[in-house]
Amino acid sequence: MNITLNAARLVTQVLAGEVWPALADRHVYRVGPDGQPFALPGMGGVTLGVHCGDPATGYASDHLEPGASVRHREAGANMALQFLTCVGNPVRVESGPAAGALGHVIGQHAYVLVDFAPDVMAGITTGDQVTVTAVGQGLALADHPAVTVKNCSPGLLEAMPGGTGADGRLEVHVAATVPAEAIGAGAGMVSEYANTDLMGAYAGLGADLSLGLEGLRIGDIVALEESDHRFGRGYRPGYLTIGVISTGQCMLFGHGPGPSTLLSGPADAFRVVTDPDASLASWLHEGWDTSGSHPGLETAQ
Amino acid sequence: MNAAGAASPGAELRPVAVNLLGVVEQPELGSTPYRVDDDGRPYVPVGDGGIVLGLRLGESVFARDADHAAPGACLVHPDQAARHALAAYSCIGNMAVVRTGRAAGARGAVLGQRGEGGRVIAAFAQEDLARMRPADQVTVRACGQGWRPPGFPPEVAVLNLDPAVVTVLPVATGDGGPVRAGVRMIVPSKFSGNGIGRPSASWDLDLQIRAGLGVADLLLGDLVAVSDLDARYNMGYRSGWLTVGLVVHGASPLPGHGPGITPILTGPASALLAEPDEAGHTGLTEAALQRFSAAELEVQ
Repeated sequence: MNITLNAARLVTQVLAGEVWPALADRHVYRVGPDGQPFALPGMGGVTLGVHCGDPATGYASDHLEPGASVRHREAGANMALQFLTCVGNPVRVESGPAAGALGHVIGQHAYVLVDFAPDVMAGITTGDQVTVTAVGQGLALADHPAVTVKNCSPGLLEAMPGGTGADGRLEVHVAATVPAEAIGAGAGMVSEYANTDLMGAYAGLGADLSLGLEGLRIGDIVALEESDHRFGRGYRPGYLTIGVISTGQCMLFGHGPGPSTLLSGPADAFRVVTDPDASLASWLHEGWDTSGSHPGLETAQ
Repeated sequence: MNAAGAASPGAELRPVAVNLLGVVEQPELGSTPYRVDDDGRPYVPVGDGGIVLGLRLGESVFARDADHAAPGACLVHPDQAARHALAAYSCIGNMAVVRTGRAAGARGAVLGQRGEGGRVIAAFAQEDLARMRPADQVTVRACGQGWRPPGFPPEVAVLNLDPAVVTVLPVATGDGGPVRAGVRMIVPSKFSGNGIGRPSASWDLDLQIRAGLGVADLLLGDLVAVSDLDARYNMGYRSGWLTVGLVVHGASPLPGHGPGITPILTGPASALLAEPDEAGHTGLTEAALQRFSAAELEVQ
């Protein structure tokens, strides 16, 4: 992105996390849009076979979290991990057969979500320790003071196309634009934690549930209309929020694929360009291998 | 898909009442007093839970500089699972009786509930509220979940209503026709804030409306309709549906929050009609709610 950043002023913190198990209760079932009971995997643990660039929906899954779901055992330390970790930050596996492998943060969902290459992912399981090299909160755009940046590593912003345009607006490429009607669970929460579930993307269910969002892919950059995420997540005419799809298929009603917040501000501060390649897959996966060399992004030292 | 699925279990079954213990809540704050509003201004939340004095049904949701303030006392339970049950089974109009403290013996009625950890909002006379304090015990005679008013079309689900309370609300059904609900206003589903995606039997739905931003005034106790919202189970977007709720707490400066409704009716718009009346609407009044704490309605 052609843009002036304050990246040199940011500090980097080393944070510990742990791959967290999937959780259930003894009643097992939750309830879908038409009252269907379901018991479906996808949240917590290590979810295999779904990576950046893959379809977000179409799986027999609920709250699909691609890759490893990471948190910290202690409540306060966990909130620091969730708040300070940014999309694009590198994550190193510290224990288990995959020790030494590197992946990248693709978003938050009450867990830090980490995508690894498929052969690395196969060796990761619940309880593995990981290290997040966290940098990005505090990022600011000197030429776009009305735009707030969140959860975004400097390397990710630099890798994205667009930037300051001749008209002074911030050009951002997005794979899809999301109407305010789609905003589901996550409304009213802080935008440094979890994400915003999008309704209207229940693949295979009724047309009356659809808002045309079934084509979203993991890692897609999306624009949320009438959304102000500068100080939390709220509906607000005249505002726009840019996010990255970090979670996928949901059966739970009022939930769905979710963007983690990256940029938010008055709609007229942005110039949105529709671009099917606007995806983390275009940037994070470039040069992906198990040794973890990712040009253009931060690497763990 | 079975649109009538929500309705069938209770169609011919008698409701049961259960006595639940509610404990009057003390509001809780973290180690910093501040929350942050839409425009990044810090504020100290006042009125978010616990006992709120002086706030009455019929007041504007925007009348106070408060955060989610509800008219009455919020009830919780120290055991989290029991607290969820309290919120899930308590219904609007259920009788609430104070068991301990200086207000022991006072009777009130459930106004609605709030989500997340689970809270029941109970309305009492102001003189009773003034004698209550956090940790006072209140018995809630919980009854209504699973109950259906006779003659309601099967497509319309009924939620969170004491069997007696529907008679004092502007809700009516013709012979085999749609249910008609008088409401202050109909708002689009995109106004749905905190509470969307959560179970309607135990959460309220915050409406993201702000004073003076093109929306008519809204009063505590009003009925409001939300278009394209299905609230039978979890609350979520469904085109062609309608949900009617009762306004149970006031506005909030928090992004994504606002005055909250407890859902009471939800169904396809062909079977559930909302009739807005911005100037003349009357929802649940103090006088009507007081009937539910009176002796003659004790046995239903």
